[in-house]
Amino acid sequence: MQSSATHLRWELSAHRSFPRRTPFSSKIPSVRRATAVSLLLLAFGLTGCGKDEFADKTKLRYMAWGNPEQLALEQEMCEDFNRQNPDIHVSFVRVPASAYKNKMVVMFASRTSADVVRVDHYNFPQLVKKDYFYDMTSLAEKDPTFKSSDFFPQCIEEETVNGRMYGMNVLFGGILVYYNKTMLKDAGLEDPYELSQKGQWTWDRYREYAIKMTKFGPNGKPLKFGTQSPGMPVNLIPIWAFGGDLMTPDFKHSRLGDPNTIRAIQFLHDLPWKDHCSPNPAEAANGAFTFESGKLGMSFDFMGVSPTYRKKVKDFEWDVCPVPSGPHGGVSLVKGNQLVIYRETEHPQEAWRFVRFMTSVGTEQKLYGRLLRCFPTRRAVAYSKEYLHTDQAPHHMDSFVSTVEHGRPLPITSRWDEQLTLVTSAMEEINHVPDPDIPAILKRTQSKIDKMLGEEEGW
Amino acid sequence: MVATKKPAFWGFLFITPWLIGFLLFTLGPMISSLYLSLTKYDLHSKRFVGMENYRRLAFEDPLFWQSLRVTVTYALFAVPLGIAGSLLIAVLLNQQVRGQRVFRTLFYLPSLVPTVASALVWSWMFNKDSGILNSALGLFGIPPVGWLFDQKVTLWSFVLMSLWGVGGGRMVIFLAGLQGIPEGYAEAARLDGAGPWKTFRHITLPLLSPVIFFNLILGIIGSFQVFTQAYVMTNGGPNNASLFYALYLFRNAFEYFKIGKASAMAWVLFVILLGLTLVQFKGAKKWVYYEAGS
Repeated sequence: MQSSATHLRWELSAHRSFPRRTPFSSKIPSVRRATAVSLLLLAFGLTGCGKDEFADKTKLRYMAWGNPEQLALEQEMCEDFNRQNPDIHVSFVRVPASAYKNKMVVMFASRTSADVVRVDHYNFPQLVKKDYFYDMTSLAEKDPTFKSSDFFPQCIEEETVNGRMYGMNVLFGGILVYYNKTMLKDAGLEDPYELSQKGQWTWDRYREYAIKMTKFGPNGKPLKFGTQSPGMPVNLIPIWAFGGDLMTPDFKHSRLGDPNTIRAIQFLHDLPWKDHCSPNPAEAANGAFTFESGKLGMSFDFMGVSPTYRKKVKDFEWDVCPVPSGPHGGVSLVKGNQLVIYRETEHPQEAWRFVRFMTSVGTEQKLYGRLLRCFPTRRAVAYSKEYLHTDQAPHHMDSFVSTVEHGRPLPITSRWDEQLTLVTSAMEEINHVPDPDIPAILKRTQSKIDKMLGEEEGW
Repeated sequence: MVATKKPAFWGFLFITPWLIGFLLFTLGPMISSLYLSLTKYDLHSKRFVGMENYRRLAFEDPLFWQSLRVTVTYALFAVPLGIAGSLLIAVLLNQQVRGQRVFRTLFYLPSLVPTVASALVWSWMFNKDSGILNSALGLFGIPPVGWLFDQKVTLWSFVLMSLWGVGGGRMVIFLAGLQGIPEGYAEAARLDGAGPWKTFRHITLPLLSPVIFFNLILGIIGSFQVFTQAYVMTNGGPNNASLFYALYLFRNAFEYFKIGKASAMAWVLFVILLGLTLVQFKGAKKWVYYEAGS
């Protein structure tokens, strides 16, 4: 119950806030005036909006995400295309990476998509199954300038589903080993690139290098680690090298419980917990040991990270080499983004011209040859002098080429996200403790994945 | 007749933007999601399946139960702790001491930090090697705790982190409630020989019970909607130890595009919260005192 004084205060304040006014109707003339002015302004605005400087052109929208440098380059490419193709105008729609997938999918589902969209391959199989992409096969067949042999077969493989082409690869690349040459020299170790040339760069050697490059402080705390145990999907590289795999070739079953997969995961688990040459998850938290900080001897990463290291690393020398080999060879993982044409675009021919432009020799020379970003999809550009010979790190550009030549596309299906969630849980159960029952965890996860793959998609 | 209708007309006209917004962005999506929860919909093809999504959630999805377990456990601890913490701070900040306004500002400040930013700060504080929490524990010879990496501990780390918000809006509501209690009651109690604890227990708490009730309802609803900090700090890990309900719902909707299932989860959440709120209202009759009703 409020006191009468409180009530009085409320009443007074209410009157102060809402003083008695003249009847609303007396204000109408000013309302009319305001409405008239608003309408006038709107009319002016609409007149201004109505002028379309590209009315005589076919208008296309291209949507992509990326860091500011990448987006600036793509904007430049769009402008080049517009200059060279006066009958078409491409406008570039930039979307922040964090919102990209959601926005893209909602635009596809609501039939408001851009005509050409860059799709990360992680999402490609999931979206191609939903029939959002234009089948480019006939466009490619009718185009006399298109030859699939111009491109690395892995690029074509990644963008082809059931023999039909649904995209063209860009920002392609593979995983290789980035290594700190200064740390190597300090540890008195031979350059791993040289070892790889001699066929001696093995996972055992890699482990030995990681142990020798690791340094601890007087209090026993790690100062520098030799390597960082890779997570999914990069850990597929040692899994393949040990003869294991993530999936069966028909993608219907998991192979996580395979003895060779278990061996590879055990090997990776031993790096932090037994050999202490890699940070365990808690030690690696908050970016405590990153390659660019100079506290990590070797790191697995995509080729696209090179420009970042080139920009950030100032205090030590670095370079790249192919991934180590194991009892079953040394195959790396390759992956790109796909340029897709929206299935319901009104201008598939023009969209195809834009896609061809973005994957042309000229564009790739500019993007990859001149600026050394990622990896060209075209063999001619990858083998060109401009790409292979550079005066800045990394110098072993042939490692990029050999990685892609022998690379294997990511074995993913439309259910990759669901599968990855299950695998990530298993890896957390393994990697976060020193003595997990690895075979039991992997076999249990294999059963879960098989059950999930056996069920109808979408539940 | 026209004169009496006119104010109503203008009233409705003025709330039209809100009405349109409510119909388009609240009621419309709610009805739509209720329908979608009865379909198998992946943003491409849609099929009416009746209650199948609900049946599958209940009987075939262990992660649904895991996410519910995580969220209920969190709510059971974070809500009472949060309410007690906010009340304690509000009582302290209600004391007539020098610098009272400065203290109020300082305690309120953390709640102004965006959740993503505070999650990042906390992930540093939880760092096993260099985090401030483990450094403090180290002073007492306690070995480092894997706050975000040990699946037995992770959920409790989130409960601990929830205390970050005790000085926020809830504390302000308590403070307003405390200031609304007439001083005369406490004074009469003191004259009757009641000490500070008895005064607090028998005067302040009962008079504050409507505010506690209000904060309890909002706290429970809020604890079932925990998402950002789990998404940023652990993404539900390790091994689903911090898989909050809202995070699992988000995954189904926006990572797996299981829109039917996610909609069913949203309605299950709605029913749970509605049920809990109704139970609280029923129970409130026994412990919430409204002056007007007494």
